[in-house]
Amino acid sequence: MKFLVNPSKFNELADYIFKPVLILSILLFALGLLFSFYLSPDDYQQGSTVRIMYVHVPSAWLALLTYAIMTLYSIAALAFRIPFGFIFNTAVAPIGAVFTLICVISGSLWGKPMWGTWWVWDARLTSVAILFIIYLIIIFMNLSIENRNVREKVVAIFILVGSVNLPIVKFSVDWWNTLHQPATISKLSKPSIDPSMMTPLIIMTLAFISIGLSIAILRIKTEIISRKSNLG
Amino acid sequence: MIILNKIISFYYREYKLNLSGFQDILTNIIFFFVSIFIFIFSIGPDKEKISTLSIGIVWTLLLLSSTLSLRKFYQDDFENGSLLIMHLNGFSFGFIAILKTFSHFLFVQVPFLLSIPIACIILNIANDKIIYLVASFAVGSLTLSCLGSISSSMNLMNQRNFLLGSVIVMIFSIPIIIFSVSIINIEESFNSLISILFGILLIVFAINPWASGLCLKLSIENN
Repeated sequence: MKFLVNPSKFNELADYIFKPVLILSILLFALGLLFSFYLSPDDYQQGSTVRIMYVHVPSAWLALLTYAIMTLYSIAALAFRIPFGFIFNTAVAPIGAVFTLICVISGSLWGKPMWGTWWVWDARLTSVAILFIIYLIIIFMNLSIENRNVREKVVAIFILVGSVNLPIVKFSVDWWNTLHQPATISKLSKPSIDPSMMTPLIIMTLAFISIGLSIAILRIKTEIISRKSNLG
Repeated sequence: MIILNKIISFYYREYKLNLSGFQDILTNIIFFFVSIFIFIFSIGPDKEKISTLSIGIVWTLLLLSSTLSLRKFYQDDFENGSLLIMHLNGFSFGFIAILKTFSHFLFVQVPFLLSIPIACIILNIANDKIIYLVASFAVGSLTLSCLGSISSSMNLMNQRNFLLGSVIVMIFSIPIIIFSVSIINIEESFNSLISILFGILLIVFAINPWASGLCLKLSIENN
């Protein structure tokens, strides 16, 4: 597992797995779109708009997952002096921001036909919007502080302070009465979703993970190269 | 006893500095009142409308005008080298952060605390609600000072984009705004809500020396 903390080991592994992951993501996207548009049933209440779920839910999961991994890497980087954590934070923040933006926009498009408004100020929607703003602040900090030694540590501290938002996003639907529904798929209980809708959801989640992974590999490799040549 | 002397001289210096720059603090308060006027002009002088919005207006503008002075939190001391001198005199960076937070509370937030009743009279807020507003701001403003310390120490080396510091404070002050506005609007639950505010204050107060101290140390080492 050295490739998780060692840049040169990561580079070796990345050269092997980048192309397979990219091809896998294309295949999974083709399969997932086929499933979600033609091979899954309409919802009995929501009709065809339920198909937005196959984009909305995976992007929301990945937005949270990206931030959680960034938090873990910040702890590792600050406490155990692992510089790969700083590389990871710099490289991956825009990917998380894009996933959050996809989640917010698709949710808004889903909300208009189902709830009647593009946006309501309930806890889940607001906390995800705050997550998006936190991602933007991380990106802007990376752009505006010039000294690299200060920048990477300050950004890691900010990520740690901002991680208080993660449990709020996750549990907002349980703690408050929200218009947004509670989690359908959880680890503790049997999912209350039909298998015919579960299959495209899983395929789309895997597709999102693999496309995110391949972009992340590209960006981390670029970051490592720019650090080696003292460009950034 | 030596450390006590040092702390007293630290606050004497802060007092002198703030006294010579008193017009800055006064300008902050004038900004607060002028923005209340602007708010009233933009929603119209209808008494019903103002009375439903007034608490939210006061809290929002207090937050906005107290973030205006964040630029002076560490920047001046950092640029003329006083932070380094204080550290060489035996204060750890975390302790400097705590001292500075209290000094910001005393010299920037307390004048706001005194000007709240006047703002309440202008906005026709009932007299028994003023005490709740002052209590919630007394707790909330110390939290705001801690957040200000964290964000301005993060942006010490940031020469390009200083507005980022205000955005950071505003993002993390959302829970404070929520709970302190509901203190005034739902009077029965005063005790439970003020406990939540105190809880937030303690959490932020515990994070503050670690986060700001580390950022100050990084900026001074790499300057």
